[in-house]
Amino acid sequence: MKRLSEAAIGLALGAAMFGFAAPASAQKEVLIGTQCDRTGPTQIVGIRICPAQQDYFSLINSKGGIEGFKIVAPEIDNEYKVPPAVEAYERQKQQGAVSMALYGTPQVQALNQKLTEDKMPATSPGFGISAAADGGRFPYLFPIAATYWSQGAASIQFAKDKLGGSLKGKKIAYVFYDNPAGREPLPILEDLQKIEGFELRSFAVPPPGVEMGAQVLDISQRYRPDFVIDHLFGRSPSVAIKEYKRAGFPLSKVLGLVWASAEADIEAAGGWGVAEGYHTMQFAGAGDDFPVRKQIKELYKAQGKEPPKEMDDTVIYNRGLLNAALHVEAIRAAIKANGGKKPTGEEVKKGFESIHDFTLDGLVPPLKVTAADHEGGGWVQVFQAKGGKFVKETEWFRAYPEVVAAAVKKAE
Amino acid sequence: MFHREAGVFKTSYAADMALYPLPIAKWAVAACAGLFIVIAPLTLTEYYVSILNLILIACVGALGLNILVGYTGQISIGHGAFMSVGAYTAANLVTQLGAPFWITIPAGGLMAALIGALVGIPSLRIKGIYLAIATLAAQLIIEWTINHVPAISGGVQASIQVPRPTLFGMQLKTQTQLYLFLMFFVVLAIVGTSNLMRSRIGRAFIAIRDQDIAAEIIGINIFRYKLWAFAISSFYAGVTGVLYTYYLGIANYEQFQLTVSIDYLAMIIIGGLGSILGSIFGAIFVTLLPIVTRWTLEAFGGVLFSQADLLNSISNLRLIMFGVLIIFFLVVEPEGLNRLWRNIRNYFRVWPFSY
Amino acid sequence: MPEFEWGFTLVLLTNGVMIGLMYALIALGFVLIYKATDAINFAQGEFVMFAGFIAAGAADIFALPFWASALLSIGGMVALGFGLERIVLRPLIGRPIIAVVMATIGLAAVLRGVATMAFGAGTRAIVMPVSDEPIELGIVMLPPVQLVGAGISLAFLAAFTWFFLKSRIGIAMRAVADSQQVAMAMGINVRRYFALAWAMAGVVSALGGVVWGTMLGVDNQLALVGLKVFPVVILGGLDSILGAVIGGLIVGVVENFAAGYFDPYVGGGTKDFAPYVLMIAVLMLRPEGMFGRRRIERV
Repeated sequence: MKRLSEAAIGLALGAAMFGFAAPASAQKEVLIGTQCDRTGPTQIVGIRICPAQQDYFSLINSKGGIEGFKIVAPEIDNEYKVPPAVEAYERQKQQGAVSMALYGTPQVQALNQKLTEDKMPATSPGFGISAAADGGRFPYLFPIAATYWSQGAASIQFAKDKLGGSLKGKKIAYVFYDNPAGREPLPILEDLQKIEGFELRSFAVPPPGVEMGAQVLDISQRYRPDFVIDHLFGRSPSVAIKEYKRAGFPLSKVLGLVWASAEADIEAAGGWGVAEGYHTMQFAGAGDDFPVRKQIKELYKAQGKEPPKEMDDTVIYNRGLLNAALHVEAIRAAIKANGGKKPTGEEVKKGFESIHDFTLDGLVPPLKVTAADHEGGGWVQVFQAKGGKFVKETEWFRAYPEVVAAAVKKAE
Repeated sequence: MFHREAGVFKTSYAADMALYPLPIAKWAVAACAGLFIVIAPLTLTEYYVSILNLILIACVGALGLNILVGYTGQISIGHGAFMSVGAYTAANLVTQLGAPFWITIPAGGLMAALIGALVGIPSLRIKGIYLAIATLAAQLIIEWTINHVPAISGGVQASIQVPRPTLFGMQLKTQTQLYLFLMFFVVLAIVGTSNLMRSRIGRAFIAIRDQDIAAEIIGINIFRYKLWAFAISSFYAGVTGVLYTYYLGIANYEQFQLTVSIDYLAMIIIGGLGSILGSIFGAIFVTLLPIVTRWTLEAFGGVLFSQADLLNSISNLRLIMFGVLIIFFLVVEPEGLNRLWRNIRNYFRVWPFSY
Repeated sequence: MPEFEWGFTLVLLTNGVMIGLMYALIALGFVLIYKATDAINFAQGEFVMFAGFIAAGAADIFALPFWASALLSIGGMVALGFGLERIVLRPLIGRPIIAVVMATIGLAAVLRGVATMAFGAGTRAIVMPVSDEPIELGIVMLPPVQLVGAGISLAFLAAFTWFFLKSRIGIAMRAVADSQQVAMAMGINVRRYFALAWAMAGVVSALGGVVWGTMLGVDNQLALVGLKVFPVVILGGLDSILGAVIGGLIVGVVENFAAGYFDPYVGGGTKDFAPYVLMIAVLMLRPEGMFGRRRIERV
């Protein structure tokens, strides 16, 4: 017993010694702190989005870095829990991060105040706090991609277009994962219901969302809506697709919001044959046909390695590229503005707010980030699962910006 | 803590039952206080102080759970839910009434105590594993309620932003300030618990744990005391929730789910059921485990795994270590780290003699 | 009042019965362990998940057909059952309940970590050689996968009931569960029966893992179905095989009816809620469940 305690103390000391992290060295380096969830409920996303970010940073580094500064991007797994996320934030802050790529809505909410206190800009593309589109109230939080509110509004617009231009008297079902992130679009949908005159019914899927037979039955047999909006995460989108197929409900009447729309979901549901006709909303371009992906593949080949299989899920992988690319552009703008020195958090914030017309050949929508609008416009694009892959169905569009803006203003 | 006695020389009951039997015990505690309250926050960098803050908050929660599980022998898997009750109570009080922290913290604790007593009512009829499952149900039902009642949860997002506590007009923002703020409550919790356990109520709790039928026979109203145990333990949990809210600046029930309840159970088992020092050891151990695992892997991991695999492995290894350590402590040292500490102490008690 | 349509109700009922039998499949493993060794297994969900992983992994890595990977999963789980009983449970015999509970909780964490490390984080599919199209009986749709699962549940119900009532080994196991000391005094090798019980639970978990894995895909979230086990076994009785099946049926049906009829009024989510409320009611009124044995505490 004694020996055990001695050994324990020794191990603890040894580990602690190695924990003294060296801050980013004086060489020309910028540190971007990233967090991920590779083992928790959203691992289906995390294991693809995070390597994508690292790949993009490696690509930029191979071309000489950002204006000569090498990117160092340590990644910490927060298991979708809050205390590890807080600890990861503190650790990366201590290491000298100039910007952070956060992961997870509860984590963003927990760290929000600290971002402002520490003047640390952070991104939360496609998740996080919808009200953060307001750059005045959330100066250091950047959604830089359609928030849940914009996604909700866009989905109604898409339904409207699909149903012949008018929603009066039509029935819409909103299926959502029963947690705060899943409920977030509800106020927008209810606002739009008053404006457009459709009937709305919502169906909650309790976590973990692996059993939703009753809800799907209700939809397909009783409610029989004209259109279904699926706002699900993690495993539940694939389960939903399977259930719709089983119940015989046509998937061409279903639109999945951004986290229900990856190749991984289609495959987990049983393959493209099962999901034929399913519409998916994206905030980053889907598919392989982008120059930046080719460059990354070449980078791997040059190192004698195969491109990683995470690239096969183009939807989620490309989102990681989007996130990383916007960080790079913000830091680039900051370095250019301060004359080639290592940027501070405040300068990177201004760098984010200067992003416009950066589209990475269509992978990134035509964002226009300003000090007042940290969302960049709320652009989305819809792809459809057809014949074994995602086919572009619409161009980049945004919907009901006034309704969304009113909601942002109203939020506390 | 560190002293050795040469014999028993007490001359009055008061002296025998005193918290610090010898002057040297008081010195030892003062030294510890000096170390942790004065030296630590001034010398450590902000990152380490933030880790200490997480540990401090966990200490309060672990102490509370130990009162219920360690001292009274009632298994509870609902600790996380009581924390969220406290958190949301405080958050609502702050945002709607602008209450200062010295009102919200007790209020959060009281509300949690109330709910805790409610959850404890089944203990009249059921015991042991059935009670544990009932508390599991309570955890899930409370989560569900907060999720679905916007009046409590503050809206669809179910999280309420809370500004940092203000003391004498100064807002506590830095990690060091928060450290001292949290340390105050931890000290309060430790003193409260040790006095509670030396009192009549504490002895009743221990009697219930050891032989509840015998306790009932000698006249202890076990139902009432079980309710007290639930209430007091939930009070601590509520306070933990409020402290967490102030530390993060936000109240969100997703931080207090089933995994958190299990984490706290692990803390008191690893630390030692039924001891204050054990709760603290356990809180330190379980909070630091993922962090230290990550440090070790970052330092040594390159040897065993490739870079890509490494990132994937760190939290899996953390899970495995967590489970293995729980099983290890249960099998090898059921009384936890506290026992290890006592063994060390006893060794030095008669050192350099062997007995 | 919600529209009480017969058709819809019938569909909900059949769906509930099917899902209920699937829950029963998981609960059977739990009941087996409790019945034979008095241990509460909080890791039942993880057993199912791990079994699913073995099956899916075998199919993937070794390109085995379904039957072979299912058999491999059964074999693996039996080995796991033996091993776990030896390493984790045996040292904890005679210790208070909380020790065993926490040990299984720790075990759950280990299994989750090992599974993800060994098999990777992606979702794996198990492909059962049954068709994907549901069989239609009027308006009722029965997915073949669930039919297989239901069939297995009922088969186990029959087999285990016979086993515990008539076979020598089964009776010996019941004796061990009743009183270890007396059983030992009668010459029964208690340790061997403990190991056997865990191995049998492994078999049940393996089949459960294969069925649930086919339905949902295998990844570390599959373990969360394990939480459903508690309402089922409390309703049915912790140590009753029949109780596991009936309890499962009740939970499945209650869930579906809650989702179908209460959800629209409460804004959703009653499905999760209802079984636990039911469970608390049962705990207050009749803690041993419908078919469980009354626990008599002796001073």
